[in-house]
Amino acid sequence: MAGGGSLGEGREKAKRGKPSKRKKKKRVGFHLDMTPLVDIAFLLLTFFMFTTTMTQPQVMEMFVPPDIKTDVIVKESELYTLRVRGDGKIFYNMAKDEPQVMELKNLKKMSFEENLKQKNRLITVLKIDDNAPYDVVIKVLDELNLAEGDLIPALSKINLKRERRFTIAPLTDKEIEEIKSL
Amino acid sequence: MAKVKMKRTGFVLDMTPLVDIAFLLLTFFMFTAKFKSEAESEQKFQIKRPKASADTSKLPDKNLAIIKIAIDSVTPNDTSYYYEMTNEKDRSIVYASAPGLEDAQRTKMQIKASLVALDGLIRETRISNPATRFAIDADKRVRFKWVSDCMEVMRKNRATAFNLVTDKKQGM
Repeated sequence: MAGGGSLGEGREKAKRGKPSKRKKKKRVGFHLDMTPLVDIAFLLLTFFMFTTTMTQPQVMEMFVPPDIKTDVIVKESELYTLRVRGDGKIFYNMAKDEPQVMELKNLKKMSFEENLKQKNRLITVLKIDDNAPYDVVIKVLDELNLAEGDLIPALSKINLKRERRFTIAPLTDKEIEEIKSL
Repeated sequence: MAKVKMKRTGFVLDMTPLVDIAFLLLTFFMFTAKFKSEAESEQKFQIKRPKASADTSKLPDKNLAIIKIAIDSVTPNDTSYYYEMTNEKDRSIVYASAPGLEDAQRTKMQIKASLVALDGLIRETRISNPATRFAIDADKRVRFKWVSDCMEVMRKNRATAFNLVTDKKQGM
């Protein structure tokens, strides 16, 4: 603020153009009241802070075969079936084994181990009841995807490239019957 | 002797650094703010998305067609499909030509559609712009039947690659 005075003096010496009759007032200790400016600035700031949502939705990539009329023949011994019942309970069975209850938190580990045991030949089939909540379906898919993340480096160690993932198949009435009493 | 409080007449606080920071933050929030699209402000429901952590890719915003499966907030248990497109040029073509829609719906941003109407909408979208990406944005409480039916319709129309919209799981 003290600089304001010296600046004015400097200008008087180096006059340009027409010399003005009016002597410029020295602006010593000049203050601008910034309060309303700050008020508005903070008002806008708070508005934008509260209205912005930082979390953007994410996506889960899905691919479905264009035509499911052609049958794909797979070995039953390489089939790992996961079933989601109408109430959201999950069951699993290897090949022709009896279905067993599966906890969601064990799914990632189980999927990882079974895939590693079969050395990349395992086919995971997901069979979901029509009444199953979508939330559970996404959770199952998410766990399987997380297992994939561990599988790719684990398989590349033994010189295998991950190719097979998992598929969604319709749940038949017979299969519903099998897990009904569990 | 009692201390006499000094009178603070003409007390000035230098607000410059405060204003600097305030404006910095203000500009930051102004530029990052993303407002609701017209279609979103039209809708009468809110989607509770399921949470997932594996896939962290973001939803694209160009040439996107979103199928929303939502539970109505006014009458619960009333689930329906809603169709939305981000590309305005394609939207006007698709909405005008899709079969089985009421005339009042054609000018809207978001269309409440039955499964049959959805089939027509997806087909028209595929015809007018094959590069359109599809996404299913479903509420986590809906039954899987809704999603599988929708996936079936998309498969029929050769929209075989699509996205399921999720929210990020917190604290991972």
